[in-house]
Amino acid sequence: MLTFILKRLGLAVLVAITVSFISFSLLFLSGDPAAALAGETASGEDIEAIRRLYGFDRPMLVQYGEWLFSALRGDFGESYYFKLPVASLIADRLQVTMLLGLCGILFALLTAVPLGVAAAIRPNSIIDRLALFLSVAGQAMPSFWFGLILIVVLAIQLGWLPPSGASTWRHFVMPTIVLGYYAMPAIMRLTRAGMLDVLESDFIRTARAKGAGETRVLFKHALRNAIIPVVSLAAVQMGFMLGGSIVVESVFALHGAGFLAWESIARNDLPTVQALILVFSMFYIIFTFLADVLNAWLDPRMRSA
Amino acid sequence: MSNAPDPLLQEIQGPSPRQMLKTRALGHKGLLFGMAVVGLLVLVAILAPVLAPHDPYAQSLMNRMVPPVFMGGTWEHPLGTDHLGRDYLSRLIYGARVSLLIGAVAALISGVIGTAMGVAAGYFGGKVDAVVTFLINVRLAMPVVLVALAVVAILGGSLTVVICVLGLLLWDRFAVVMRASTLQVSRRDYVAAAQVIGASTPRILLTEIMPNIFNNLIVVITLEMAHAILLEAALSFLGLGVQPPTPSWGLMVSEGKNMMLFEPWLVLIPGAVLFVLVLAINLMGDGLRDVTSPEGRS
Amino acid sequence: MLRKTSPRAALIAATLLASVAMPAVADEASGTLNVAFTKELENIDSYFNSSREGVVMQRAVWDGLIYRNPETNEYVGNLATSWEWIDDTTLEFKLREGVTFHNGEPFNADDVVFTVNFVAKEENGVKTQRNVNWMESAEKVDDYTVRIKLKKKFPAAIEFLSGPVSMYPNEYYAEVGASGMGLKPVGTGPYRVTEVVPGQHFKLEANSAYHDSPKGQPEIANIDIRTIPDVNTQMAELFSGSLDLIWQVPADQAAKLGQMGQFTVANESTMRVGYLQMDSAGRSGDNPFTNKLVRQAVNHAINRQELVDALLQGSSKVVYTPCFPSQFGCVQDVTEYEFNPEKAKELLAEAGYPDGFETAFYAYRDRQYAEAISSYLNNVGIKTDFKMLQYSALRELNMDGKVPLSFQTWGSYSINDASAMVSQFFKHGSLDSTRDDEVRDWLDVADSSTNPDERIEYYSKALEKITDEAFWAPMFTYNTNYVFTDQVAYTPTPDEVLRFVDMTWN
Repeated sequence: MLTFILKRLGLAVLVAITVSFISFSLLFLSGDPAAALAGETASGEDIEAIRRLYGFDRPMLVQYGEWLFSALRGDFGESYYFKLPVASLIADRLQVTMLLGLCGILFALLTAVPLGVAAAIRPNSIIDRLALFLSVAGQAMPSFWFGLILIVVLAIQLGWLPPSGASTWRHFVMPTIVLGYYAMPAIMRLTRAGMLDVLESDFIRTARAKGAGETRVLFKHALRNAIIPVVSLAAVQMGFMLGGSIVVESVFALHGAGFLAWESIARNDLPTVQALILVFSMFYIIFTFLADVLNAWLDPRMRSA
Repeated sequence: MSNAPDPLLQEIQGPSPRQMLKTRALGHKGLLFGMAVVGLLVLVAILAPVLAPHDPYAQSLMNRMVPPVFMGGTWEHPLGTDHLGRDYLSRLIYGARVSLLIGAVAALISGVIGTAMGVAAGYFGGKVDAVVTFLINVRLAMPVVLVALAVVAILGGSLTVVICVLGLLLWDRFAVVMRASTLQVSRRDYVAAAQVIGASTPRILLTEIMPNIFNNLIVVITLEMAHAILLEAALSFLGLGVQPPTPSWGLMVSEGKNMMLFEPWLVLIPGAVLFVLVLAINLMGDGLRDVTSPEGRS
Repeated sequence: MLRKTSPRAALIAATLLASVAMPAVADEASGTLNVAFTKELENIDSYFNSSREGVVMQRAVWDGLIYRNPETNEYVGNLATSWEWIDDTTLEFKLREGVTFHNGEPFNADDVVFTVNFVAKEENGVKTQRNVNWMESAEKVDDYTVRIKLKKKFPAAIEFLSGPVSMYPNEYYAEVGASGMGLKPVGTGPYRVTEVVPGQHFKLEANSAYHDSPKGQPEIANIDIRTIPDVNTQMAELFSGSLDLIWQVPADQAAKLGQMGQFTVANESTMRVGYLQMDSAGRSGDNPFTNKLVRQAVNHAINRQELVDALLQGSSKVVYTPCFPSQFGCVQDVTEYEFNPEKAKELLAEAGYPDGFETAFYAYRDRQYAEAISSYLNNVGIKTDFKMLQYSALRELNMDGKVPLSFQTWGSYSINDASAMVSQFFKHGSLDSTRDDEVRDWLDVADSSTNPDERIEYYSKALEKITDEAFWAPMFTYNTNYVFTDQVAYTPTPDEVLRFVDMTWN
């Protein structure tokens, strides 16, 4: 088990470094950050001075090495725009994004798992069809569009919820639904498929034969087995969702990390964008790592993989 | 009726795989619906110049945001006009071209990249497999929307840039599925047989492996096409996708958004069409998977 | 453009109305005015930002030595009570006594000396150098008398001292530095800052000890400012009652909001001019715009009146000069190009482009206007490859001379003098796409002369040549809309600055 964890950890670190290098070099190609930094009223000499001050005239690998070394110590440099440390800027905004991600995944699990289970118990019933319909619709729903419709209906027409912002729990309802619905279909399908598999397996038949009650069979035996892959999928989805919250945050004007990313891209705020790409990747890497470890712990056969 | 197969013979042999496929396909409502809608939209896209009632680029600033006919407008502009007085229906029709083109080409590019990587990893195993698996991990760890936005912001939004960025970002599922399928296929006897008789590697890949993983490839292409279309719409919505005046559905939602509270149809119409297209492609993909893998839907 | 309200629109309006009525009253009782900013303000300290929102905060939190009445344009003392020119480059101020900063620190000559010496020093990195780099230094004469030395003659000094140059508390600044000032700002202004969440949220409270300033006394007890980039969301918040005032509202939305009867929509013109810049100097390589006939064709291709009537609306006007009509020296007696696509096509044919040509077309704001403009150009055969960039990115390309055609705007920093626009772009600076020696020489005379008649004469010459040669295609002036609930009373000023101190509850 320890070997497995160490191997996975090594892979995770390697992936993280590669991603950081790719994101650094991508943005390095974006042309001259000095002009962006200098602002609207700067002259040519101002820009040249800034170029030297920030060391934009040095080779890329040197700049990368320096950046990575500082990043390891939690120092992502200073935002060109806010002139504040990027790390504290991101830490501030990450709270909203993480809260949103957590609500979103909970919403997805709380809708997908019961639906999936119900669908598996009675395949081809109305519930099964409804579940299928919801998941197919969810996969095709443009989340920005869904969000806008919710705003018009729930916030404007009905006046039930505030249209934007993040100050109370009510502000999180609509973003949670939109983000959660994005993750729901995959979880629902996996739950349903897992339950179908388990329900047909020998040990469920044995349990039934022994005269265990149907509820007991379903929840004690079947769901427990079917839920394992669902949990690890949820962890992976969580990683995806944090990266995907950029659209949802922009629709609902939530000042989270995704929104910061969008604004920073538009403002050419390189250090912030670089750090955000890295942070979002790290989330994904950490969540998949946890999912792998969880899987290996629950299912020893996985450890050889 | 003379061409009908002998019922007795058929009973002995059972239906041919092709016939079984056809029967299953015809019985699959989702697949049929998906194919019908996608087919229709492809037709609309091809025939856009014939079907569109107006030039999608012709602006008329004195006829801005005329409502659709079912909301008090006239048949002159059945779906109304946009913020520059351009015919909404015509822009929607031409928008189908943009969405389908981006979806198809991006899926094709990522299909080629992903398949090459997946097949190589599955067939050769060992170090090749390790490298490909690593690359897949790296790719999955990069936040797609964020990276795509950043790259488009750097290179400037245009049809070509958006297609290339999506094509270069969406190969992961191809690689994963093709790797697994190849692994499965290459353990089969006929591959071993081909290796024994000394067939060259390219020959084995082309004649033995590819045909047997083709069904899976088609399924992934379909699903990734839907994915690419949604992503393009999201990028355009955020202002970093296809640039105006090109009619893109995502861009139309974004442009209509400003007047959403007063003229909700500006947002509803393009969003709904986008939803239907992606839904249809997904249903088609799911259907193809159900039909080609007899184990049923997963 | 306004259409008749359909039954459906009336229904929506009714629904909106129902949801609007209640919460706004509660706001008034609690004395908090909720305002939205569109842009994330990078730093609340106006010396370290370059946005309109920054100016708004500066006017609320800090004071200058002088105040310009936005209606009469008359200069009166604010932190200074009087001033006089000692010589061409020295100004002496008598300071107001008994003024204190928000933290209790008394205001005196030391604060002025510190502030001027700090901001005038380039290394300290004041963002808009132009606002401060005309000052050399300041020296204290006594506790309430101070002299500011200028680098050279600068007739606009009074204008700048009444605008962007505001006074810092020296002791507090020495203690907290630039970043402390950005997070916990302290000034003498009518409002003091109680909370800063960088880029997102600012809370202000009326300064009950505000001195007897020409700005007047603050009436509204609390101001709560949130950043909401999307106008659409801002309106949704306005409907739901959690915002009381939004500004910079686009024309279409403002018109609809006005029809609802629940909000006051105030429209004011601004000094911003929208124009097409063409690379007549050929800096981006050999391009069609080096040909005068092509530039004239572009001018004839644009339907300026339609742009103003349909898109900009409000108090916008058509312009043909590369400056705002009210600016001193911006004479309007110039060559005008009427909308005539046929003539444009003829000119293009004459220039050797009977089938038109293709060109890159850049813009950095108002995508809708840019799109409409590119449609006019397409109409006469000029195919545009449209590129929307951030301001800084476009500016960089422009300075490198890589932009053949672009839609630009210039707000002249609200300075009512043609030099703030014409001379900015036609004197061979890095943003000059024309590089005409004659124009530059005339502008040199016009800018430095102290004789108003001579200035007018030379600006006329320059403007005549610029329009005759069709170096640019100036199109329209901008306007801005302020929308607020009926509980709020406010009269906006033409300088595009939101003044909280002038707002009251109805």
